Amino acid sequence: MLSLIGILAEEGAKTINPVVPDDVGEIFWSVISFFGLWIILRYVCLPPLLRVREERAAKALADREAASAAETQTEQVRRDYDTTLSEARAQAGRIVEDARATSDARRAEAVRQAEAEVASIKQAEIASIDAARAEALTSIRSDVSELAVSAASVVVGSDLDRAASQATIDSFVDQAATKR
Amino acid sequence: MLGLQALSDSLAVLAAEGEGGGVHFPPIDHIVKWPAAFGDGQFWAFNKIGLISLIAMVVPAIFFFLAGNKAKLIPGKLQNVAESAIDFVEQQIVLPAIGPDGMRYLPMLTAMMFFIWVGNMFEVIPTAHMPANARMAGPAMLALLALVMFVGVGLKHNGLHYLKEALFPPGVPVALYIIVTPIEILSTFLIRPFSLAVRLFANMLAGHILLVTFSVLTITLTNTLSPLIVAAALSFPMLVAFTAFEFMVAFLQAFIFALLTAVYIGSALHPSH
Repeated sequence: MLSLIGILAEEGAKTINPVVPDDVGEIFWSVISFFGLWIILRYVCLPPLLRVREERAAKALADREAASAAETQTEQVRRDYDTTLSEARAQAGRIVEDARATSDARRAEAVRQAEAEVASIKQAEIASIDAARAEALTSIRSDVSELAVSAASVVVGSDLDRAASQATIDSFVDQAATKR
Repeated sequence: MLGLQALSDSLAVLAAEGEGGGVHFPPIDHIVKWPAAFGDGQFWAFNKIGLISLIAMVVPAIFFFLAGNKAKLIPGKLQNVAESAIDFVEQQIVLPAIGPDGMRYLPMLTAMMFFIWVGNMFEVIPTAHMPANARMAGPAMLALLALVMFVGVGLKHNGLHYLKEALFPPGVPVALYIIVTPIEILSTFLIRPFSLAVRLFANMLAGHILLVTFSVLTITLTNTLSPLIVAAALSFPMLVAFTAFEFMVAFLQAFIFALLTAVYIGSALHPSH
């Protein structure tokens, strides 16, 4: 095969030298075509593509920056939220503590007032009882005095002096009241 | 390799059949030179290469125009492909070879790469089967442009300092400039553009000849009545494989040409690097 290609080359060498551009028309149309393409690409075809590519790159950059800013903002919002939440929690704790303290104070006050009221009522009832007892004793002393003097007068057969016996009767009634 | 050897042996036998039959390869000027459709003898003579060159201009222009016509922030399919192509040129050619300063050369390098690529693709497009860059006109013109560009960039941004850096590399003993400077002149201002052009041209011409060779072989072997017809079972898959290979070469050569041009511009822009 190589020998055949050699023969080919030998034949070719006899006819033309392919390394030498021997056709001016081919050069002319190559120049026209290439420079035409260069000019068309340079001034017509590539600028919109390059512009769009730059716009896309700029938009991508802007989007990345916006995303970064949004991420920073989100982080800031999260930190603010955490701060607010912790403050709210602390405030809630304080409110609960205050409420608890107020409640305790109010309960203590209510208990104190109730105890005072109970004591007052108790005191009033005791006074009332004492008064009733004193009244009862007075009534009893009179009845007992009259009954005792009457009974003693029947026993002795003569009227006894009520005034003279009154001291003895009172002493007896007082002793009986004391024993109860 | 075994297949290639068997094919080579078969070809030798076929070739030995001589005038009475066998393989008849067309002369090279039949597969690379095309008659003018109009303007024959004029500087604007228009032949198949001219037509392919025009298509290589029109196709990328329409593609990028349609993609960028109603460009949106959220790209459609075509816009997405076009932007990926621009990104490729930017990320794989401009930025590594020149740096951020090189963005102003993006349109030129994009045009260069797509012009070469589409021109190369005609090697494997059915009914065309002729890469525009298998003729020296296109590669030579583009290499000359690359030379003008990198010298112009160097002079514009660094003034005569660029020529001083290019011709008198720092760190070399003064006495050696007698040897080094001519070498630098040759390598920078002659060999660079020449190698650029020849690399592209030779690769495409070789691929073109390869495909023609295997096409002729396949046709000839298929039509032969000898037992060598079995060799067609090798030549046709090879033709398919080389066609697929040329798809890759078409892109690769366009990429290499644009990349090297960018490297040369980058070295002119920052000569101290």
